Amino acid sequence: MAKAIFNHVRIRGIKTIVPDRFIDIDDEIEYFGNSVRQLERAKKMVGFGRRPVLPEGVTVVDLCEKAAADLLGELGTDRGGIDALILVNQSPDYFFPASSYLLHDRLGLGEECAVFDVGLGCSGYVYGLWLAHSLIASGASTRVLLVAGDSASTHADLRNRLYAPLFGDAASATLLEHEPGDNPAWFALGARGAGWDKIVVPAGGRRLPIRKDMCDVEVQDAAGNVWHPWDGIIRGMDIFNFTMEVVPGNIRELLAFAGKGMDEIDFFALHQANKQIVETIVAKTGIPREKTSWETFSRYGNNSTTSVATVLCDQRGERPPLGRCLLSAFGVGLSWGSAIVGLEGCHNGGIGLYPTPAGLPGRAEQLEAWIRYFLGDQR
Amino acid sequence: MTHEEFLEKFQDVLQAEDPLGMDTVLEDLDEWDSLARMATVAFLDSDFGVQATFEDFTTMKTVADVARKAGIAS
Repeated sequence: MAKAIFNHVRIRGIKTIVPDRFIDIDDEIEYFGNSVRQLERAKKMVGFGRRPVLPEGVTVVDLCEKAAADLLGELGTDRGGIDALILVNQSPDYFFPASSYLLHDRLGLGEECAVFDVGLGCSGYVYGLWLAHSLIASGASTRVLLVAGDSASTHADLRNRLYAPLFGDAASATLLEHEPGDNPAWFALGARGAGWDKIVVPAGGRRLPIRKDMCDVEVQDAAGNVWHPWDGIIRGMDIFNFTMEVVPGNIRELLAFAGKGMDEIDFFALHQANKQIVETIVAKTGIPREKTSWETFSRYGNNSTTSVATVLCDQRGERPPLGRCLLSAFGVGLSWGSAIVGLEGCHNGGIGLYPTPAGLPGRAEQLEAWIRYFLGDQR
Repeated sequence: MTHEEFLEKFQDVLQAEDPLGMDTVLEDLDEWDSLARMATVAFLDSDFGVQATFEDFTTMKTVADVARKAGIAS
């Protein structure tokens, strides 16, 4: 496992933004055979509640922009001083350029700035923090804006009940700065490429581009779940086994590496895969139940890339200040990682809403504009 | 853990409507879905420290088989 300790880095603030449109599981009883009992059973076992879902025409990059702009505004940060922008994301606006470049433009950041995307899902926030810490600790950067966001709802048909009800769309922004004083942060990351096909979107990349031949392909399984080739596939049982095999050990290994006991951690922010998975990790690892939470899943769903940040932001008002936190996340790749960070004095911007704008351009309008652009018009 | 305690706990884990017996066949339960399988594996792991996989359900047919896996003497 890749372990590291970084000093002289301070996490200044965190902010999460979700769309203002939610789906409540109580409104989806049709998918539970119209049985209240079955619905209540699923709510109790999996923790289903409500989940934010992007409206047509809004992308996660829009959420990312608002999360970053709000955070920088709340902190009163000079945008010119940001010398690295990292976007962790799996739902890009375009094939290229990387969506971080759209953010760089919209946020009005300076040109003295390193800008790039990291393509990760559920483990992404911890990987992103690791990268931001290492940039600052090495002296490559002094002020890093880490943005993480994903729109899992765009990778599933609503009728795929193995996928759609688990996920919510969200984005977060985190500002990290160099600090002369000591503030150690510990990380332990891992990867298992052999499990690449356990969570996968098969079509749309260069291996299997979306063409006319697949536009009408729609498959239904015995339980009625609907799938298209450009939708995600999750092998739930395999992921469950993988999580139990890897995550508790990863957390224990990190604590040993940092020389910390459970009692020296104020809060454990665990990736909100679902209630059942979080509760099993908590029980298996021996994490004190009052120091963690699965309830963010019921309020916002599994937010993929930014899930751990949502948990932290969801503690605003509940558990201030955050203190020394252990973050742990795992998922697509397969990948996993845990971190112990000192969040004393960190601004918690909580979870804000992205108001859906009126009059968004539709597909036809976008297509036409790109055709005109190809033909030489200005955008 | 007594048999009675185990049966009560396992019923709650599965969120099963009817009380379980040791001779209850898992496949006969209305609630025996993928959620229940995951809950059973999680239950064995977190409450008994026993690692089961989904392949184990080819041999774990009854509630008594799950209890035996959990290390509860029959």
